[in-house]
Amino acid sequence: MRSAWGLAAPLGLAYAAFFVAPLLMLFVVSFYADEGMTRFGTEQWQRFLFDAFHWKVIGDTLLLGVKTMLATILLGLPLALVYREASPFWQRVLLFIVVMPLLTSVVVRTFAWIVILGREGVVNQLVLGLGLAAEPLRLLQTELGLVISLTQIEMPLLLLPVLSVMARIDPNLIDASASLGAGRWRTLVRVILPLAAPGIAAGCVLVFASSTTAFISQSVIGGGRLVYLPAMIWQQTMVAAHWPFAATAAIALLVSVSAVIAVIAYAGRIAAGRVEMPAHG
Amino acid sequence: MTDLARRTLLGAAAVLAAPALARAQRAGTVTAAIYPGAWEEAFREHVAPPLKRQSNIELEMQGVFAVDQIAKFAASRGAPPFDVFVLDPGPRITGLDRGMYEKFDPSRLTNRAALPNFLVDEWGVGCAAQVVGIAYNPKKVPKPAGYADLLKDPWVSRLGITGFGTTFGTVSLIELAKVFGGSETNIEPALAELKKVLPRIAAVGAPAAMPGLFQQGQCDVMYTNTQTVTTLKDRGVDIEFAVPSTGATAFFTTLHIAKGSDKIDNAYKYIDTVVSRQVQDALQKAPYNFVPVNKEVPLGAGLPMKSLDEMSRFVTHDWAKINPLRGAWIERFNREMAK
Amino acid sequence: MARRRSVGDLSYIAIIGLLAAIALIVLVGPILIVLATSFTDSRSIRFPPQGFSFRWYELLLDEVRSRQIHRAAGNTLQVAAIAASLATLLGTMAALAVARGAGRVGRLADAFFMSPLVLPGLAFGLAALVYFTLLELRPSLELLVIGHFIVITPFILRTVGASLSQLDPALLEASRSLGAGRFRTFRRVTLPLIWPGIAAGAFLAFMASVDNVPVSLFLSSARTDMLPIRMWGMMESTLDVRVAAVSGLLILFAFILMLVMERLTGLTRRMRG
Repeated sequence: MRSAWGLAAPLGLAYAAFFVAPLLMLFVVSFYADEGMTRFGTEQWQRFLFDAFHWKVIGDTLLLGVKTMLATILLGLPLALVYREASPFWQRVLLFIVVMPLLTSVVVRTFAWIVILGREGVVNQLVLGLGLAAEPLRLLQTELGLVISLTQIEMPLLLLPVLSVMARIDPNLIDASASLGAGRWRTLVRVILPLAAPGIAAGCVLVFASSTTAFISQSVIGGGRLVYLPAMIWQQTMVAAHWPFAATAAIALLVSVSAVIAVIAYAGRIAAGRVEMPAHG
Repeated sequence: MTDLARRTLLGAAAVLAAPALARAQRAGTVTAAIYPGAWEEAFREHVAPPLKRQSNIELEMQGVFAVDQIAKFAASRGAPPFDVFVLDPGPRITGLDRGMYEKFDPSRLTNRAALPNFLVDEWGVGCAAQVVGIAYNPKKVPKPAGYADLLKDPWVSRLGITGFGTTFGTVSLIELAKVFGGSETNIEPALAELKKVLPRIAAVGAPAAMPGLFQQGQCDVMYTNTQTVTTLKDRGVDIEFAVPSTGATAFFTTLHIAKGSDKIDNAYKYIDTVVSRQVQDALQKAPYNFVPVNKEVPLGAGLPMKSLDEMSRFVTHDWAKINPLRGAWIERFNREMAK
Repeated sequence: MARRRSVGDLSYIAIIGLLAAIALIVLVGPILIVLATSFTDSRSIRFPPQGFSFRWYELLLDEVRSRQIHRAAGNTLQVAAIAASLATLLGTMAALAVARGAGRVGRLADAFFMSPLVLPGLAFGLAALVYFTLLELRPSLELLVIGHFIVITPFILRTVGASLSQLDPALLEASRSLGAGRFRTFRRVTLPLIWPGIAAGAFLAFMASVDNVPVSLFLSSARTDMLPIRMWGMMESTLDVRVAAVSGLLILFAFILMLVMERLTGLTRRMRG
């Protein structure tokens, strides 16, 4: 089937020229020693790696991704479980509801959360109105507010792979588990989750990747005190016009995010391996 | 080929042809950098129409703060992202040093005579003055007397601050530092004092985000310029301008033509329009309340001065000293304010 | 034994049900809130909105006052249309190749072509800016098209790949054994069967381009303003209520398109691939 790869050639060439080459160029630029990009050196890398503040920023960024991932799992998995047991009509409706937010721009979804989390926003109106607190809650410009907003913004990314995997779980396996005397919780943990693990892992990867690089959401909802890598990259590129340092930060982002993604994917494979799967691709 | 494929090809061809067609029909254009927010709105409403009417030039604007304009120009390496800069004193000097402007010929402006001489030189021309002080919500907090008050109750818990990314932020923080023993070149006292009250400060944001934060009630007192105050007031926000006890800061904003621009004639026409009497008069009125530089236009009532000459009493800064330090200050602020 | 199971089952239903309900509210609520605020009569963005009026939509549709927004929207749609067309063409071809290529090479190729989806878009956006600038190319719509094309192609690959995997190889064999050449088989058998997958992928790619932020953030400029970036500017500095109106229109647009695609291609079925 040699000629089959000929079909992939145009895309492959496009990727090589416009995806791989720029990333390689980014890598090269990070090794310029000065802002004006006149000579090479490892100054920017030293500046980045030898400063504890930058490691804190990397850690905070990755942690934000992990927190968002866990929050989306907490809310998204139950929804997926309900989806599994729903009739085909309701499954279509649910899928529609899940996909819709994805089609509205990230900016729209971020903007919604300003309205909700603000000092005079929906949440505070409810909280104050119900007398749950005397003072308005500070949700904007806090990490809690940011994680809450990112959960909604990214949840569809988790749900799409998970819903698809849930729909393909053989109902016979569930029935068998029940008839063997396992309660629903046990069935969930021993049967459903391992079968759904590849989908969950795929969803987690997407959520993690997306939330760590959600620059506008982080900046608008998180505010000036929460410093994450995307904001640093943006500032260095657009405000300080220091491309080598920006490139360094961008590569740090690439590497750290990819590392965590690899771990998540591996964990998914382990979780799935605990149950023998019928012949799947 | 199938119907679908044929239709797709035709559609694609039409779409691909569209930009070429659009380009052929456009009138003359000029791309001007403009400060985001009040300036952008004001120019869209009062500068773009006369420019189109009188010279058939479409005004395209990009919202970029002064420091960012310098950065963008530097990053673009020879292909200027816009044709006209609008700059505060500090970035203006940086641009001069780095040769970012086309030589300016004031005699090409029809309105040259109406401008004070000190605002015109061989590199550009002044277009407005800015006055920086403290803005507060009179319904939520009492009027603060000066920068020192910002760090005390009841203001500190409603305070919104921003860093050195813009001129108004920089001068305000310098003034704050001066209150605690600092100077134009030493802002450490300001950072130290801010750090002490940091957990209680209501909001820390990017400069462009400050008006929005005030409007949403996230903060009720902040340092800013008179333009922001009047624009927000016009939107029904409760806001007033307070002149700090140490004096309001004033500086002039200037327009420069970007080196390497291919629209120099249009740029001159744009600058001419901005400083013309009609436009300066319109800008000076509510809700924008610009400080006009055209001698034929009287200053608005809400300003803390009656004429441009009075501004010599206001606080000014030596930007040649500040510029080299600002980059480091920007990073210091980030670091100190990070949780 | 029966009692133990029913208590556990009750707690399962209660907890899972509650969490799922919260998930639904969290998913849909903000969208509805944005829609509601766009109809406010006042100049501030609050929920519940004060008054009810279409004035912000009218202002938004005003050619003169909202010219910059119109241009940004026009640019965005143009770039999305061209980028999606490119992605559909090249992506479908690549999906065909990947589907036929078996084993490790096929999986590696698949992972490679899908990688823009997983790598941080911001890093790619900066890389593209650096790359094009060092090649002495001015920011332009063409460069935006290229940048967007890279990041949206994975969508095509996913849906077309899913369609291809559901294709019964027996059909292809039958066509061949009846004497049809490779291209004819593709045209008469494969293409009609996978075109809903192609259409669904093209739709998703188009929307992904319209919504794209990381690439537009770095590659756009004053002359090539893009809608999400402009909206961000409107959100930050002046909290222009027109942001709510634009959002409302985008939501409506997405909703209608989704309905249409659902009817035409059974979109939701494609996405489960």
